[in-house]
Amino acid sequence: MKKSIILLISVIVLTVSCDKLLTQYPHNAKSVDNLTEDDVEMLMVGAYNIAQYKPTFNGYALFDIIGGDLIRPGATSTNTPALVVQGAIAPGLSIVGGPWNGYYAGLYQINNFINAAESLPDSPRKKEMCGTGYFFRGLYYYYLVTRWRDVPIVTGPVDYDVPQTEEAEAWKFVEGEFKKAIEMAPDFSDKNYVSKDAAKALLARTYLAMGKKKEAADLAEELITCGRFALADFSSIFRGKVNKEEIFTFPNLQNEGSFNIGSYYYTKESTVGGSYTFCPTQEAMDMFVHNDKRTPYSVDIQGSNNVVNKYYQGDAGHDPIYIARLAEMYLISAECKGLALGIDRHNQLRTFRGLEAVHPASEAAFLNAVINERRLELFGEGFRWYDLVRTGKYEQTVGVESKYTVLPIPSRELTLNKALHQHSLWIASDDSETNE
Amino acid sequence: MRKTLLKILGLAILLFIPLGVNAQGTVNFPSAKMTVGEALGVIESQSGMSIAYNETITDLSKIVSTPSGKPLAEALSIILEGTGTEAVIKGKMILIVKKKAAEKPAHVPVSGTVRDKIGPLAGAVVMIDGTQKAEMTAEDGTFTIQAAKGDVIRFSMLGYKDALYTVGTMTSGIEISLVDDSQLLQESVVVGYGTMQRRDITSSISTYKPADEGEREFISPDAMLQGRVAGVNVAAASGTPGGRSRVSVRGIGSITAGNEPLYVVDGVPMSNTSGDTGAYAGESLSGLSDINPADIESIQILKDAASAAIYGSRGTNGVIIITTKKGAKGKPKLSANANYGLSYLQNLDKLRVADADLYLEVQNEAIDNYNKQTDSAIPRLENPYPGKPQFSWIDMVFRLAQSWQADLSVAGGGEKSDYYIAGHAKWNQGVGIGSLYQKYGVKSNVNSQVTPWLKIGATINLSYTDANRVPDGAIGTSMLTHGLEHRPWDTPFKGDGSYTIINADLLHYNLVQAINEQKVYNKTYRVYGTAYAQIDFFKDLNFRTTFGGDYMSAEDHVYFSKDHMYGNSAGVLTDSRRNFASIVVDNILSYNHSFGGLTLNAMLGHSFQMDNNSTAMQKGQGFPSSDFDVNSVAAEITDYSTGLSTWALQSFMLRTTLNYKDRYLMTVNARLDGSSKFASDFKHRYGFFPSVSLGWNLSEEPFWKWDGINAKIRASYGATGNQGGIGSYAWMTLVNAGYNYNGKNGYAVMQPGNSDLQWETAHQWDVGVDLSFFRGALTFTADAFLKDTENLLYDMPISATKGYTQYTCNIGSMRNRGLEFALGGNLGKGDFHWKGDLNISFVKNRLTSLIGDNEVLMTDDYHAIKVGEEIGSFYMIKMLGIYQYDEDVPTYQYEHYGVRAGDVIYEDVNGDGDITVEDDAQFVGSANPIFTGGFSNTFTWKGLDANIFFTYSYGAKIYEYWTGGLRLGNGNWPAQESEALARWTGPGTSNTVPRAIYGYTWNSTMFKSTRYLHDASYIRLKTVQIGYTLPKRWTERIGIEKLRVYVQGDNLWHYSPFRFLDPEVNTSMTATKMGLDCMWIPQPTTFTFGVNIKL
Repeated sequence: MKKSIILLISVIVLTVSCDKLLTQYPHNAKSVDNLTEDDVEMLMVGAYNIAQYKPTFNGYALFDIIGGDLIRPGATSTNTPALVVQGAIAPGLSIVGGPWNGYYAGLYQINNFINAAESLPDSPRKKEMCGTGYFFRGLYYYYLVTRWRDVPIVTGPVDYDVPQTEEAEAWKFVEGEFKKAIEMAPDFSDKNYVSKDAAKALLARTYLAMGKKKEAADLAEELITCGRFALADFSSIFRGKVNKEEIFTFPNLQNEGSFNIGSYYYTKESTVGGSYTFCPTQEAMDMFVHNDKRTPYSVDIQGSNNVVNKYYQGDAGHDPIYIARLAEMYLISAECKGLALGIDRHNQLRTFRGLEAVHPASEAAFLNAVINERRLELFGEGFRWYDLVRTGKYEQTVGVESKYTVLPIPSRELTLNKALHQHSLWIASDDSETNE
Repeated sequence: MRKTLLKILGLAILLFIPLGVNAQGTVNFPSAKMTVGEALGVIESQSGMSIAYNETITDLSKIVSTPSGKPLAEALSIILEGTGTEAVIKGKMILIVKKKAAEKPAHVPVSGTVRDKIGPLAGAVVMIDGTQKAEMTAEDGTFTIQAAKGDVIRFSMLGYKDALYTVGTMTSGIEISLVDDSQLLQESVVVGYGTMQRRDITSSISTYKPADEGEREFISPDAMLQGRVAGVNVAAASGTPGGRSRVSVRGIGSITAGNEPLYVVDGVPMSNTSGDTGAYAGESLSGLSDINPADIESIQILKDAASAAIYGSRGTNGVIIITTKKGAKGKPKLSANANYGLSYLQNLDKLRVADADLYLEVQNEAIDNYNKQTDSAIPRLENPYPGKPQFSWIDMVFRLAQSWQADLSVAGGGEKSDYYIAGHAKWNQGVGIGSLYQKYGVKSNVNSQVTPWLKIGATINLSYTDANRVPDGAIGTSMLTHGLEHRPWDTPFKGDGSYTIINADLLHYNLVQAINEQKVYNKTYRVYGTAYAQIDFFKDLNFRTTFGGDYMSAEDHVYFSKDHMYGNSAGVLTDSRRNFASIVVDNILSYNHSFGGLTLNAMLGHSFQMDNNSTAMQKGQGFPSSDFDVNSVAAEITDYSTGLSTWALQSFMLRTTLNYKDRYLMTVNARLDGSSKFASDFKHRYGFFPSVSLGWNLSEEPFWKWDGINAKIRASYGATGNQGGIGSYAWMTLVNAGYNYNGKNGYAVMQPGNSDLQWETAHQWDVGVDLSFFRGALTFTADAFLKDTENLLYDMPISATKGYTQYTCNIGSMRNRGLEFALGGNLGKGDFHWKGDLNISFVKNRLTSLIGDNEVLMTDDYHAIKVGEEIGSFYMIKMLGIYQYDEDVPTYQYEHYGVRAGDVIYEDVNGDGDITVEDDAQFVGSANPIFTGGFSNTFTWKGLDANIFFTYSYGAKIYEYWTGGLRLGNGNWPAQESEALARWTGPGTSNTVPRAIYGYTWNSTMFKSTRYLHDASYIRLKTVQIGYTLPKRWTERIGIEKLRVYVQGDNLWHYSPFRFLDPEVNTSMTATKMGLDCMWIPQPTTFTFGVNIKL
């Protein structure tokens, strides 16, 4: 019987000690309930990380992919931009759904961060952190509104289906976020961090989209004349050298980002390697003329292949993601001030890039010139599609139907969020008769 | 075992102070004549001593005179007089033993023949009772054994009742006839935390015992079960040696929380997670291959909840209990097996690629159609190398693969200890060039009765595997797809011997370059084992404590040289390691006792398991040359990660089995499980899983008149749980570190915790019947089950606007219904014997409720779940045919998608003219078969044996998402010859294959459609084996007891409507994503030559 008593005791002891082992915590994470004030700083760093990679390559490059200057080489070869657009844009495709998910995932982080930062006791640092948060929220919504126009505005944790906000209202929200950021964000010190100047650049871009030309031009001029920034050669901007032109850039470091932009543009036989998913059209190759100093840093011919040459590290390394730089401000200023007042900024940029000044005869010709200059200057940086859309030139330039001037709401979202409706351009007509 | 079992009576007397002892120590009998058994009982109750005797040597029914008032010793000797036994008193015990013979008569050879009602029996054990002297019958059933007059010779063989012969004057020509025992009801079955007799089983448990004959060589034990057991469906992973099979017991057990059964090896749960770390994008390796199939004695599959409930939260998907071989008393038995095999891929001609002329014809027809339709001027293609012979990439990278395997084991034991020691080596080439799977292992199993009350034992298994891996599975350089996707004139090398390169020379990756310039291997070292101590307090009560451990260290080495397409022109090495350790401690108290006709069997236990997983990975880039392949020489480390996670499970178990006169049987199980994966309050953390099962052995009833027919009816209900597949910390809302920016540490909220998460619970009802006719010559088992699973765990997709795209929660319930039948035959005449097994199982799954609403939830691009539909159902656009005339095309499609005659007609479900996934996708079939099974036949005739084994499956669908050869002008993809020839070229030419059209994706990649969904039904001639056992009279001269040689063919033939190679392969283990193929390497046809030797 003694044996059984020992046995019973040991079973009880074992059971009690096991119970404690049933509570296990992760080693790379902590519960949200345990966050301290210092952790809010950490959340801000995390928000940068998420903002940098969550939109994915498709998010950053979409305006180039469907902007008419890129086609797909290789086995899936689509030789015309129109076919690229038709093959890429549909509600069920990942190029549409992936960035949507990425922007909202980023917004979830930034909303969490803003809520945490706003609840801190007042201090100069709190103000700066909040300003950074508003900047990112503005940036996400800029991306969303340009693509989908009417989008759900989410500013905190939600557990219900959020309906869409009208485009005009959504723009006002973006404007408000950047205004708050201009007031609260830190002064410019490093291109890799959010600053008042970064917020000004993005607000100028927002005003351009909203048609608020004067406000856009004023902000652009502020940045051009503030003395902190100056135009720089592509040989430094796009080859990782120090320059004063970049206002806000994600460094996209090797172990912090998830994609190499360059790997989509180079071929396996190039020295850096790449998957060569997209290449410039012949027209895009031809628009870069010999004396344009941007040419060798924008495109290249490798063997028999045309390649985009802005992101030079290919498979071999990570290139930065350029969010805002001064040249865009020159062109925003020029476009918004119109032919008479804006031509100077336009020609200042052209001559800096090694081209001759132009003298358009009309406002329409001037607008064409500015849009064309933006095409050259900002090639491969995610601008082209929206430039064509906002100026009403997209359908004609690329040769596609009007529905491609807006992205369809991803089908997954339509299924899961009952409050959403598809954009009217993407709803088929009721015409179901056969073709006679 | 039965025959040597000492039966101890009167446990109660040992427990209490013996009140009935007569003061004088004399014995009084109630009557003057009694049977020996009755008399001993009286002595026992009066003396307070217990009496032990061996039933087989004591004739208890002999009537003897029983004079009262004699002292104990005298009374005993009177009773036992003339029985050939005598009593020995040891302390409180009286042992009745065989009387020592006064003189030993001379030994003479005694010979004869052993038969059953069919014919001579080979391999029957002939043994002199009470000694260890034993022989075996030869092929013709004859035996010769040295025996003395008066010796009792015992003849025994598994499946037959023992026969006895007392040696008299006749010493030759003895004819012994063994009577079939009903094997079905006598077999010992391993259940959770114990064993039971088959006749006592009231739940649904299937047993599979690998035998030499008809057994194939396997790398991993999961593949062994395919087609063998009703209710167990095994889908082979692919033809790569060491790949993972998908095993499902009674259909889908869960949506996400894991569908694989629990594997228990020698009593300890074993991790069957993938054997690799996932660093390589190719096909995953089996985590079970560390068990050598040759070491397996038997496999039991606990199918219903009543049997699996003892594994509680881990039993929902069934439990596969593997018992490895043990030694037995007797002289050492040595067994050796070796074989050599050749494998190749069959039916490759089905994939033939169009030649240059046909390719250009299709491409240019596509361009012409496009130019005409859109008024464009896309230039036509021309053959850049007219007359250049077509190069076969497939022939270059697939080969006749060789393999050899050998294993050796020694088993034996003495009075108190037994041992089994084995080793094996396997060397298997895959059919893909460069694929090689090597495995070496040793195993031991020892048991020892240290003292009469203490037994200890241990099993230890050490193994090392080394898998050289090729681009298989879903990797971007996948062998079969890249063997098919090059243009007819493309070759792997340029004139100067350098590789041709994608984009520059080729449309796709150069497969030869991919294979040559990668060096990818997985090395796994694994130790698992158990050690136990069993204390017998009394004969009826014992305690067993078991410690089990499973330690695995895996290294994945993925090296792409600078000349590889993934080598980033510098060389890239991913070095990924994983240490996995699991410990289990079980404490089990068992009690067995008979009260008259009622037998009670009870078990009470506690178990604790803790799993620890630790990973580390670095990725280096920039190597001086391919000779350097460690990351310490890399120019830079481009990525690294480490991980550490732990989960723990604590359980309490109870089982009670009651058996009344073998007629009425009842088992009650209960288990309480607590898991670290759930919130810490008792309600969420702990789950209770009870079960009850009842059985009625009709044939044991007095009214049963049909001798030779056994019948049992079973019914059970039970609950089981599931926690597999859920993250270790899924209930917590987590802020993860590691979201760093510009070199600074950052956090992100990456997991929406759900503290309401709870066990997924299945309630299962089962009714079954076991019948055997003609004394076991024909057996039949049928089961019907109904399984309702509640609180299904699922990563529910949610709107991205909520911050996450999915959320782990308990969302709904589902029902599985099924029928299983197994029919066994065992017949023979003369030297000829046939044994057949046929099994078939039907399973139907249906989702019965889903959180909140009745919506369709798409689980990936191909599947969806919806209330009323089967989980694993395909959900996509349905192809109806081909538009024969432009006039048939709806205007919207004509205008917006450029659809014309020759293009695919998709069903426009909502009739708006447009085709979209949201509006027009529909349920179009399931990846789950309607029924599956196997049919095995073994024939023996003298020394010859033959086995023919078929497996089959009906009703499943498979989606082939390799569309490369079927695009017909969309892109520059080469065409499959069969598709190109069958294309639509004008009204009436085809209603299944569309026209060639450049640019538009309507026919090929715009939608996931039923154009690529195929019927995956098949019947496969899995194995044909022919063996010959050499006559014993030859082999005995060289000291070999048994020598068998065989030749075997595997996967020799199959019939399936699936147009590609293998309808069985499956790229996903997840229930909602099953049934996808992307030209995975099919199972090869293999011819094996082997030998089995026993000493």
